[in-house]
Amino acid sequence: MPVLTGKELRIVGFLCNWCSYGGADTAGIGRFNQPTDLRIIKVPCSGRIDPLFVVKALMNGADGVLVSGCHPRDCHYAEGNFYARRRLEIMHNFLPIIGYEPERFEYTWVSASEGQRWQQVVTSFTEQIHKLGPAPKILGPEASDTLSLMQAAL
Amino acid sequence: MKVGVFVCHCGSNIEATVDTAAVAAAAREFPGVVFATDTMYTCSEPGQDEIVNAIKEHNLGGIVVASCTPRMHEQTFRRTVERAGLNKYLFEMANIREHVSWIGKDREANTNKSVDLVRMATEKLLRNRPLYSKKFDINKRVLVIGGGVAGIQAALDCADGGLEVVMVEKTSTIGGKMAKLDKTFPTVDCSSCILGPRMVDVAQHPNITLYAYSEIEEINGYVGNFEIKVKKKATYVNWDSCTGCGICMEKCPSKKATDYFNEGIGKTTAINIPFPQAIPKKAKIDPDFCTKLTKGKCGVCAKVCPSGCIDYEMQDEFVTEKVGAIVTATGYDLFDWSVYGEYGAGRYPDVITGLQYERMLSASGPTGGHIKRPSDGKEPKNIVFIQCVGSRDKSVGRPYCTGFCCMYTAKQAILTKDHLPDSQSYVFYMDIRAVGKLYDEFTRRAMEEYDTKYIRGRVSMIYPKGEKLLVRGADTLMGSQVEVDADLVVLAVGAEASAGASELAEKLRISYDSYGFYMEGHPKLKPVETNTAGVYLAGACQGPKDIPSSVAQGSAAAAKVLGLFSKDQLESDPQVSIVDIKRCIGCGKCIQTCPFGAIKEMEFRGMVKADVIETICQGCGICTSTCPQGAIQLQHSTDNQILSEVNALCQF
Amino acid sequence: MGNPRSESNKGDQVKFQEELKDNIRKALPELDVVIGWCGSFDPLHATPHFMRREEDIDKLEISPLSVHNLATYLPGLRGKKVGIVVKGCDSRSVVELLQENLINREDITIFGFPCTGVVDQSKIKKALGGHTGNIEFCDMSESVIVIKSEDKAYTLPMAEMLADKCSSCRYPDAVISDYFAGEKIGNKGEEDADYAAVETFENLSVPERFGYWLKEFDRCIRCYACRNACPLCVCRDHCAAESRDPHWLSQENNVRDKLMFQVIHAYHLAGRCTECGECQRACPVDIPVLMFKQKMNKEIRDTFQYEAGVDPEATPPLLSFKMKEENITEKVW
Repeated sequence: MPVLTGKELRIVGFLCNWCSYGGADTAGIGRFNQPTDLRIIKVPCSGRIDPLFVVKALMNGADGVLVSGCHPRDCHYAEGNFYARRRLEIMHNFLPIIGYEPERFEYTWVSASEGQRWQQVVTSFTEQIHKLGPAPKILGPEASDTLSLMQAAL
Repeated sequence: MKVGVFVCHCGSNIEATVDTAAVAAAAREFPGVVFATDTMYTCSEPGQDEIVNAIKEHNLGGIVVASCTPRMHEQTFRRTVERAGLNKYLFEMANIREHVSWIGKDREANTNKSVDLVRMATEKLLRNRPLYSKKFDINKRVLVIGGGVAGIQAALDCADGGLEVVMVEKTSTIGGKMAKLDKTFPTVDCSSCILGPRMVDVAQHPNITLYAYSEIEEINGYVGNFEIKVKKKATYVNWDSCTGCGICMEKCPSKKATDYFNEGIGKTTAINIPFPQAIPKKAKIDPDFCTKLTKGKCGVCAKVCPSGCIDYEMQDEFVTEKVGAIVTATGYDLFDWSVYGEYGAGRYPDVITGLQYERMLSASGPTGGHIKRPSDGKEPKNIVFIQCVGSRDKSVGRPYCTGFCCMYTAKQAILTKDHLPDSQSYVFYMDIRAVGKLYDEFTRRAMEEYDTKYIRGRVSMIYPKGEKLLVRGADTLMGSQVEVDADLVVLAVGAEASAGASELAEKLRISYDSYGFYMEGHPKLKPVETNTAGVYLAGACQGPKDIPSSVAQGSAAAAKVLGLFSKDQLESDPQVSIVDIKRCIGCGKCIQTCPFGAIKEMEFRGMVKADVIETICQGCGICTSTCPQGAIQLQHSTDNQILSEVNALCQF
Repeated sequence: MGNPRSESNKGDQVKFQEELKDNIRKALPELDVVIGWCGSFDPLHATPHFMRREEDIDKLEISPLSVHNLATYLPGLRGKKVGIVVKGCDSRSVVELLQENLINREDITIFGFPCTGVVDQSKIKKALGGHTGNIEFCDMSESVIVIKSEDKAYTLPMAEMLADKCSSCRYPDAVISDYFAGEKIGNKGEEDADYAAVETFENLSVPERFGYWLKEFDRCIRCYACRNACPLCVCRDHCAAESRDPHWLSQENNVRDKLMFQVIHAYHLAGRCTECGECQRACPVDIPVLMFKQKMNKEIRDTFQYEAGVDPEATPPLLSFKMKEENITEKVW
């Protein structure tokens, strides 16, 4: 479904199965209200997240991407989030060169018990994305399709 | 694949804020979906039957259920589709309860979001493949790391259950912390009388192989088939012939060696047997203090040894043991209390730890069971106990409660009165934590029958005043300052993970918390399992525990091992990585980053390729995100499956 | 021969070339092939040269036209005994290939020489008014290139014709070699790489940056010359760009996939790219594709103090980790 115009932006979340997905569940069980923009993709481990998934989501039209894993040292697979931290940090800092604000992508750690922290992360990230507004979108096969619209917007 | 979609009302849990019928209607338009409906309780028996019937009626190849979190009912529905003849991995869940209906009341937004989540699940499902578990043989031997009371219990239970047990103990005797205790609470019975026979059982059990004074060097393999490299540290005494007669100890001229067993109360000889009941009762030389080893002069022990077992040239030795499961029982160590400047930071000889006091109380200890001030050997009259030293104190990075200090302090106060009837004990405490059978009654006895003065408050300062120590603290119940002229101060020092615990965790590939305690699989439901299959926890390595809890967990770990070994073969989780041989270029990046050593090199037509050992792979997928050419794919979380989810959500 | 360049180009260049040829002559009997450069279809171009017999060695020519990074050939020749002539920058690619076990050190013989820089053919083409057909003559000295094309003579300042990577080169000498001909210029690896161009670009506004790449990649014809020239693009027939499993990119002609491919390339090179610039050199439509890799390297340097292609024993930063990362400040929520 398309995003609800004027109400929502498209935010994709990649959450590890063991900590953060559970944290999001805990937030739900606690009925901690959250903005509705985020859609969560479950992965086994933050180490499974190829930073290119983040870029793929942005290029396909996401306005924001949020990654969350187990806190460092708590990884179910011992080391996954340590690798993730390095790789995601590099991608986070790389994004500006393409023309995305680095704030469109954040990564963090939320444990399965931290429902409240999850609520806070989702709320503040959604606010951050709404403050940035929609991300630049590629609107057609030719650059001109996008560029003319961008010009019009400028 | 023909897909069926079931959108659950969960009573009103979902239906109240999600238009489930609209979600089902939207799902009918998705590519691949041939059947979609909303149901009241999908997990109920009629709900599950509806799924089974739909699979048969519409010849469905895969099912999406939009309901609660997969952590709740994924297993349930996997069994359902299996019942209908489908492979259980041809199933996906969309979490529209915890992640949608329970976190917001906007019905339009929730319905819209639910449709997205169902679309995502459907797209993933279309790329799911049937997966099958494999069976593999197991080695029914168990390794127990640590010979304290928890490890002893686990080892004896396993051995009595018919398993071969290998026990590895870091020090030269088993017994652990419990062997150092004089008495135990709340029964005040003799610690070594309880433990001693169990230690002897370990030594004599035909199924137990004991490596004392040994450490784990390397752990390879996986559940059912671990390979352990054990380092037998050089003792300089041939244990095959040592009879433990102790003549070497009597004659050794180097009498200033650190007495680790006695917690530094007193000294021992360079060649020593830690205590009379030691198991194994064998001598070892402390190379730091032996003048033959440090300066090349002496050799007395070699001359007096009746069985000629002294070997100054002895080197560390390595042995390999194959086991199928591991019980970790590495226990705890005391917090380094010298960070507390207010208690003298270790400068005052008459401020000692509870464990040192325990050795002093012990009849077989360095003082022969007489309580003496370390400074002048005099009997103390006023004895102050301070609780929570390195427990419940954020300022030193130890916010947790060690849990057993309240009880051992009460016991020590009682024993003090027994030893020195004229003495007076004071206990500075924060709260008394006496949860356990007969525990609270016990602390009451310390106060009421043994006249121990309990003062609720912290000590702010200890400083010497003549021969005595002036202990100044607050009594928060009276709202007044308290000063006690103490002859001896005993600190109830909290527990922390034993030295080297984190290094061992890395070898075992298990997680540990920021204090070094090992993480259990689930705080409620998997208290002795770890997240590494085949590795179990017993005792204080998982968190501070008293003796009954440690013993209980030792038995629990043994039960888990016996359960694991009740089958001849184990089934592997098929959600593992596989290598596409033709895409793999043999660069080895996956091998380098796999936390489990589950990937090895193999030769294929003269080329190097990666190969996943299915039974070791834990399914984290680090390899998949590391491999640039996508040659190694984690099944059920492949690049294409995740990309399809991304594409379902972000359609330009 | 008939190449006017080789006759007029004397001095040091010739001296070390003879030494280099002697080195190769000594080693060739033990090797299956030695890869260098020789003259090409016109005096302004060189081409990779595969020396199998002694007489092949005579044709070897080292000059500012020796642009190709010959390390690209090494993984394909795995199992053979291969000699390779390397510029400083090329040698760093060899180091990377060794680090990743894609070639065996004992099979490779490395011939180094002091490199004073290579030309950027795009710059020459521009100076020649956009076409480089029918070059009749080319002569190079340290300061100028003299070219005759269609009866017109051009004298171009060498400094302005050098590739960008050469003007800020910190590794003129091979970082690893078995033979080294000539006198070393001296590597300055301890100095920081120059990322001024990247920083300038980053100062543009978000729509300017995004729009810039859309415009640039609109020209891309998805020929993948950038990838094929890259010495570290080792996936070869199994590149993510043309695969359905994993299916990262469609085969459609759209700017999204073109841009995405460059990000994939840059990320796959993170902590590996030595900025040899072959991707950009190979691009037939002159898209500045090196900038993504430079940006990636800048981040790798700033975060992990790591530079690729220096130490064959090093572990690339994205294949390792520290429990505490000194230079990563995580977001506080």
